[in-house]
Amino acid sequence: MAEKCPACGSCGMPMERPEDFALGDVTRPYCRHCTDARGELLPFDQVLATNARFYVESQGVTPAAADAMARAMLADMPAWRDRQ
Amino acid sequence: MKQVIQTATRREQKVVTRDRLVNAAMLLFARKGIVNTTTADVAKSIRMSHGTVFLHFPKRDDLVIAVIDEFGRRLSAEFRRAFEHDLGLRAVLQAHLRVLEEFEPFYSRLVTEAPMLPAKVRSTLMLLHAAVSYELFSALERERKAGRARKIERPLLFNTWIGLVHHYLVNRDVFATGASVIAERRETLVNHFMTLVKP
Repeated sequence: MAEKCPACGSCGMPMERPEDFALGDVTRPYCRHCTDARGELLPFDQVLATNARFYVESQGVTPAAADAMARAMLADMPAWRDRQ
Repeated sequence: MKQVIQTATRREQKVVTRDRLVNAAMLLFARKGIVNTTTADVAKSIRMSHGTVFLHFPKRDDLVIAVIDEFGRRLSAEFRRAFEHDLGLRAVLQAHLRVLEEFEPFYSRLVTEAPMLPAKVRSTLMLLHAAVSYELFSALERERKAGRARKIERPLLFNTWIGLVHHYLVNRDVFATGASVIAERRETLVNHFMTLVKP
């Protein structure tokens, strides 16, 4: 099995290098994309939009499909699983 | 001290069990199909109790995603290794195909069954595609700046490559004489794609 690295507790992105973590701090649970300049977790809607955009820009799927896929990915993440 | 050793051993054992499950699932998904394989089938194939599978993977989807994640980790490692030697588009395509070949029986099932799989599984696969798309486009842009490639929009660049590769994978029974269609068609696919992107 390949070596495992920590994953962002918000979007699931593998965090392989220090610069992948919020503020470059490897003890932080979230990645740099899901956090603001102070290292705080961004609101759900903002994280959702960023993740949905990733699908659109990479493969050209429709915004609705991208939104659904991003929601499916975030639903079970530690940061969002208890979200109502 | 004894307690520490026991805890470490238990943790190691847990990792070993999890890895066994992921490997067994990958083999079975490849053989029977993902939709047709249950967690009980996976447990039975390695003579493990169904309860143990449930402890590690409460839902079948969790097991499928664990196999996809394993594929993703290998892909990421292979891209990293490729970049240490060569930043060109050809190197990225070859790195992608090396990992596809390694996971070919499972991956072929995955892409064949993707539209029928639960949203989370399909989204995980599409997220991996997004990562490959990023690497391809970055490499294309480097080639373009060096005058060796033309401008192509990122989604179409990726979709053209993956469409080509997936066609051979989904129909591997008619495109390969041996066990791996990627092994047999690698050079043709890479050379053809490199021709398509020329200025």
